[in-house]
Amino acid sequence: MSSLERQLQRLGQELAYPREPDVASAVLARLDRRPFPWRLVAVAFAVLAVAVGAAFAVPQARTTILKWFHLRGVTIERVETLPSAAERSQAGGLGRPLSPDQAARVVGFQLALPPRTNPSRVYVLEGALASVVLRAEGRPLLLSEYRSGNVDLLKKSVGGKTVIEPVRVSGEPGLWLEGGPHTLTYFNQRGEFRQRTVKIRGNVLLWVDGELTLRLEGELTKAEALRIGRLIRSG
Amino acid sequence: MDRPLDDAELVERAKRGDLRAWETIVRGYQGLAFRTAYLLSGSAADAEEAVQDGFVKAYRALGRFRRGSPLRPWLLRIVSNEARNRRRSAGRREALALRVAAADRPGDAVPSPEAALLGGETRAQLLGAVNTLSEEHRLTIACRYFLELSEEETAAVLGVRRGTVKSRLARALARLRDELGEEDE
Repeated sequence: MSSLERQLQRLGQELAYPREPDVASAVLARLDRRPFPWRLVAVAFAVLAVAVGAAFAVPQARTTILKWFHLRGVTIERVETLPSAAERSQAGGLGRPLSPDQAARVVGFQLALPPRTNPSRVYVLEGALASVVLRAEGRPLLLSEYRSGNVDLLKKSVGGKTVIEPVRVSGEPGLWLEGGPHTLTYFNQRGEFRQRTVKIRGNVLLWVDGELTLRLEGELTKAEALRIGRLIRSG
Repeated sequence: MDRPLDDAELVERAKRGDLRAWETIVRGYQGLAFRTAYLLSGSAADAEEAVQDGFVKAYRALGRFRRGSPLRPWLLRIVSNEARNRRRSAGRREALALRVAAADRPGDAVPSPEAALLGGETRAQLLGAVNTLSEEHRLTIACRYFLELSEEETAAVLGVRRGTVKSRLARALARLRDELGEEDE
């Protein structure tokens, strides 16, 4: 090996790479047909959307997956047909209402919020997903946050009427989902497939901020959602 | 104490449906697979997705894995295909600019004499020269020297023949020597 080759090899040892993710649990979860081994993952909660829900709940022929979109900790699949689901009010099924301090202790992170926002209640589901109801221009918005870690915690499926568009929120990757209902399905912390599917009609902005994945839902235009999203900062 | 199982034994177990054996393989190779996918895709998110999908596809393709073949190049080929597909579908054309990690962190070991020698200016100059190479030459250098893959593995990752790796390496090294004003050795 020449001197140049040795120098290149040493240089390689000093290169900067992003933090290496641990994908083993996610790989196993996808391969294992039994209830997913989420208990092996230090993650208490997953919100799964219809791609997974549909795979369990809807005849195969109706669930052809048309396209995948990915954001860290989130996978969205476009399917031909959404499963039937109950409609959810914004604060329905969001978990226990706690004070902001109690909620931070339970989920292990401080919520990212817009400036000068002091919610009196934070809803915590399965010890991992924290949600608050905000008001912007007289309309209620639902902001949900969780620590995304290395595995996909959030999976959603959307029908053909929903537009999915990659966006940037304060330089971080995000996805904008507009139009058409989509559904969510929840896992509990023991990894049991608790299929509580709810139908959501608002538009949704998903993005990452540091170790958090955030989701803003409401009757918003893309510009409004992005403007609010940019105001929401962790820490 | 039980000895650790080698790749061949783990693969045989995984073929029989032992997911714990596959988990051991994933944990053993995911770091290298991620760095490889990151170099190819230019995006950490795409690289993570490529690694995850690659290991899922590899498990499902175990029936086609030839007994006795080396596992590492086979896995790297699958993950690299995923990474390249993502980059293509994202329409990402700009090359990933390699950079050196931040200076020593508290608690880091003292740099080796070699690392100290290759400090500051020389390192920056060398990296700058690598970043000026064409995409195919830069990736060949990155696989062979930065990831320390064999020629066979480099060929698998880049989807080319081993002879192509050899000739690209020779040309890339010559370009680097020109760029750095070094004599051929």
